[in-house]
Amino acid sequence: MKAFASALLVVVAACGEGKAIFNVDVYSFMAGTGKDTIPYVIPPSSSASPSTFQRILLPPGFGSSIVDSVKITSGNVNLINSGGTGTIGLVLRFAADSAGTITAPPALSIPATAVTGAQTVPVAISGDLSPTINALFTRDTLWTRITATGTNPGLTPVTGKGALTALVVRVVLQDRIF
Amino acid sequence: MRTGVVGFALALLVLAPLLPRAASAQFSFDARRYGMGGVSLSRDGNVRRYNAAYRAVKNRSNLTGNPKFSIPIPFGLIDFIKDHPLNQLGSDPMFDPKSTAFNPVALMNVILNPPIFYEIKKPPEPTNNVELTIGKNQLIVNLGGSQVLIPEQKFGLGSSSRLLDLGGGFGGFNLSVMGFLQYDVGFSLDSNLRAVLREAAPVQPDSSYSVLIDAVAQAGFAPTVGFAGRLTHGPDAATDDGFYLGGALHYYLGATFGRGTGPAGFTVGDTIFKSTPTILVNDTLRTSNKANGHGVGGDVGVAWISGPFEVGLGVNDIGAELTWSDTKVQQIQYFTAGDSLRSSVIGNHVESKTKLPITYVANAALRMGTGTTVGADVVNSGRGTVIHVGAEQRVGLWAVRGGVSRDQRKRMQFGVGGGLRLGPLGVDVGLFTHGNSLSSQRAVTMATAISIY
Repeated sequence: MKAFASALLVVVAACGEGKAIFNVDVYSFMAGTGKDTIPYVIPPSSSASPSTFQRILLPPGFGSSIVDSVKITSGNVNLINSGGTGTIGLVLRFAADSAGTITAPPALSIPATAVTGAQTVPVAISGDLSPTINALFTRDTLWTRITATGTNPGLTPVTGKGALTALVVRVVLQDRIF
Repeated sequence: MRTGVVGFALALLVLAPLLPRAASAQFSFDARRYGMGGVSLSRDGNVRRYNAAYRAVKNRSNLTGNPKFSIPIPFGLIDFIKDHPLNQLGSDPMFDPKSTAFNPVALMNVILNPPIFYEIKKPPEPTNNVELTIGKNQLIVNLGGSQVLIPEQKFGLGSSSRLLDLGGGFGGFNLSVMGFLQYDVGFSLDSNLRAVLREAAPVQPDSSYSVLIDAVAQAGFAPTVGFAGRLTHGPDAATDDGFYLGGALHYYLGATFGRGTGPAGFTVGDTIFKSTPTILVNDTLRTSNKANGHGVGGDVGVAWISGPFEVGLGVNDIGAELTWSDTKVQQIQYFTAGDSLRSSVIGNHVESKTKLPITYVANAALRMGTGTTVGADVVNSGRGTVIHVGAEQRVGLWAVRGGVSRDQRKRMQFGVGGGLRLGPLGVDVGLFTHGNSLSSQRAVTMATAISIY
């Protein structure tokens, strides 16, 4: 697909000072692969941070471009709790490789959501990502990691899974493709 | 390599539809002609180039009211240099692709419409956002306002030119050697690719997208025997009245030629971003091994002048088919393994044939004797017909002009102008609309020139 994507750069260039906007449906790459769920088991009186990660492909050739903004325009995780009472927060990280996503600073943090018993709690994911990661989006490949940060103040384990149902990243950049 | 193939094709996609413009007016330095929508009321220019009979017609400037020559006043160039100082061109955003302000559309507009004359209304430069929606099985390209840059039909650029015509003769006969250069590059998008780029239609799984390319270029010399003469004349033989006939027979000696045909595209798999699409490049390239093209063709022209009225028709390169007895035929294909284009010779020292396109001009002019002259011409220089209709009214020292034209993109353009003549000197101004830009909207240029009578 790089061929077609690269060709598009020429078309993008013809739009002069206009911006190039990419709406990347990250979820579509994760759906059905198992990476769209984050099983969690939080022992009593402790915390845990299970995660999943995904490679994102972007059209090549934007290495010299300037990223104006990166935001999540549409995102949702269903916290499908099967037992226990606690909180689940979400953290999104981005890095140039999969290992880097473990130590990368959070690009977006979703406040903790309380879960209890057997229930499904939808959690919206949206907002601007930290500008510190903007440069990553001039690459043709980057990685994202979604971490569920769980706490369990109770005496029984908090178990369940976070099921991603939508995640669209919008990248706006000033193209400098030559 | 893979990225380059389709990238190049799409680059041409964007740029090429704008190239086959009417060159007849845009590269003239005659402000009078601009003011008349591009028509030439004189007996030079297009009619002399495309009508063999006009070789026998005297170009009387005193009769036609045309100057001996015009000197353009390049207000546009002055303005351009003011905005783009020559000593700073290296860092000028217009020419520096690394600049965030670099706009290839603006650069192409300058190339398509050289800034000799002053642009009263500059063509808009699309600066809209381009939005791409990317998913595992989804790709939508929304070019916004720039969708108009994507051609709906076959597009390309081309010309058939006579670079020189050296020779002489007597009694109406003429022996000469003519240099010819013809090129034509055409592209056709298939309906799938056109819909993706022009209508933001989603790329579909298990679908193919391609551009069909047909390009030819040939050049050479042609020893020519020609005749042009007045067959009949009016009551007063001293006038130009009469029926003129001209013709020329060319023996074309082709020096070199090349022709490439075939598709460039790709086929998307069952999931758009699941695997690399299959690249399709399967083109045939024919090139001459030796400068041994040969063929015969001819020109025919007629003109009739009766008092204030004259009309002419010239047709050129009739039956001009060149046979190249020693050519090489190569097949160029893309191979996924190695991600490369490879060529293989599938025929060598074989015969190939090419044709020169027929070019023509039809012209008419009426000099009414009251200072009014009207004229029209229809010109086809090998790629599309251009029609000009214009008029000039002289009143004392002054002249008022107007005209319309239909350019190669089949769009109407308009011209209006005026002039002041003081003895051997004149000043002319012509305003004209044109589409010599990437935009579909008209621009307005003001041409200014000093005429020497």
